[in-house]
Amino acid sequence: MKILIIEDEAALAQSMGAYLSDENYLCEFAATYKEAIDKIDVYEYDCILLDLMLPGGDGIKILEEIKAQQKQDGVIIISAKNSLEDKIKGLQIGADDYLTKPFHLSELAARIYSIIRRKQFGNANIVTQNELSINLPAKTVTVNDQPVTLTRKEFDLLLYFISNKNKVISKSALAEHLSGEIADMLDSYDFVYVHIKNLKKKLQEAGCSNYLKTLYGTGYKWEI
Amino acid sequence: MSKLLSRSLKRLMIYAGLVLVCSIPAYYFIFSRLWQYELNEHNVVITAEASREDSYLIIAFVTGLTVLFFALLIVGLILVNRRISNRLWQPFYRSLAQIKGFDLHRQQPVEFEKTDIDEFTELNQSLHKLIAGNVAVYNQQKEFADNASHELQTPLAIIQSKLDLLLQSQSLTDEQYNIIEEANKALARVTRINKNLLLLTKIENSQFMEKEQIDLSALLENTLPVLASFAEDKQLTLQTDIHPGVVVEGNKILIEILLNNLVTNAIRYSPANDVIAIRLDSQSLSIANAGTAPLKQEQLFKRFSSISSQTPGTGLGLALVKQISNRYGWQIDYAFSDRLHTFTLTF
Repeated sequence: MKILIIEDEAALAQSMGAYLSDENYLCEFAATYKEAIDKIDVYEYDCILLDLMLPGGDGIKILEEIKAQQKQDGVIIISAKNSLEDKIKGLQIGADDYLTKPFHLSELAARIYSIIRRKQFGNANIVTQNELSINLPAKTVTVNDQPVTLTRKEFDLLLYFISNKNKVISKSALAEHLSGEIADMLDSYDFVYVHIKNLKKKLQEAGCSNYLKTLYGTGYKWEI
Repeated sequence: MSKLLSRSLKRLMIYAGLVLVCSIPAYYFIFSRLWQYELNEHNVVITAEASREDSYLIIAFVTGLTVLFFALLIVGLILVNRRISNRLWQPFYRSLAQIKGFDLHRQQPVEFEKTDIDEFTELNQSLHKLIAGNVAVYNQQKEFADNASHELQTPLAIIQSKLDLLLQSQSLTDEQYNIIEEANKALARVTRINKNLLLLTKIENSQFMEKEQIDLSALLENTLPVLASFAEDKQLTLQTDIHPGVVVEGNKILIEILLNNLVTNAIRYSPANDVIAIRLDSQSLSIANAGTAPLKQEQLFKRFSSISSQTPGTGLGLALVKQISNRYGWQIDYAFSDRLHTFTLTF
């Protein structure tokens, strides 16, 4: 899986690269408008992370260029501007997702995972891991071919863990993921614990081995 | 090009002079008639009594005539003044209409007509300067809000990503993990404060001006299920009484923020296992949750006034609510009775 990180802030680009490289992604970098255009012209990527404010040009133009070349690369806009107009404009031109800075790397990984899966598998998008099988478009889960009923939040969490395999995820990252746009709700992270406990219980009762480990008290890791 | 005062004064003086000149023949005519009448009547026998009678008569006539001309003068002056004013002040009223129609947000150019009156030319020039200055400051502010957003969010994103990477280290102790989590929480709070501050600045700068008819009942019904899951986490019951078809005019994004902030506040500050009552009718929206002591009303809607160690909010939620209500001329009130905090928004 090839990912192009178009980001002028070296420290941030490097963090993203370091986190994603562990997950079998091959990351390439572009720090300026010109570099980005040069790379897009020549190579195909599974996913492009696009910062909108770049030295030498507007990120939106890069997006237009990708679409003009009719490339199938998934595009996630990563912007410091949390403005609705930018978001709508980006999605209209054809970006697949929009992420506002600052974000958790685990959130980024989850978004990339979901876009790449959608692009490559379409409706046959089923993630299988030993006895566990997740049907992404239908949002259903089976263990040993037996269906497990999960709430929307539990399903969300499961997918989040699957897309961040073998990574330590903090409770605050999970809280932020679950609360979505209503970030002001984040004073108490306790609600995360309840959902995780239920998810673990349901999976275990269905006969799924315990992949979800608790670390350091409030951190979590999906180990395989 | 002339002064405003000299123009109207000139005309008024001409009219007054005209009336006075007209009064001379009138006086002459009346007095000669009076004289003739006296001659015929009394055959000019001047007795002391007749002479006194004469002077009374003369006084009466002079007074009457003077009053008549005075009335003529006044009525005429009023009419002339009104006509002159109407014409003279035309450019002023046109400038006024231009200013009234000016909207800083839309920034359509303002063109004042040329006038040949000094004061108005000066006024138009000053207005032009004032508006140009305001537009420049407004644009600068807007740019600042955008730039501040970018400049702050990027370093925040770097810190966040580094903390996430640090978390992946193999040899972390529980203590080190907790340090990272504490930093994470503080970072999340800074991010929210930054977001809300920018939002406040944007509203103050009169952004989000697009208006539409919004079905508040439907919007509230759609918002509640999203927030309800947070209420469930605290075992709170949402008791709703929403009249259908309540329509207000406003910006959808702002109204959503307003609803979100009021309801999330109620959820956040309500003790667990309690009830939140939400009521909407055509005049008002009220949200009530349980509490122990009244809040400081005068501090409530100020920025950062509510912030304390017990309230980990951004301290900007209610300031935002207030700002948005002000924009649409709505009234937001707070009351505490029967151990209930009630926020009421009156449209």
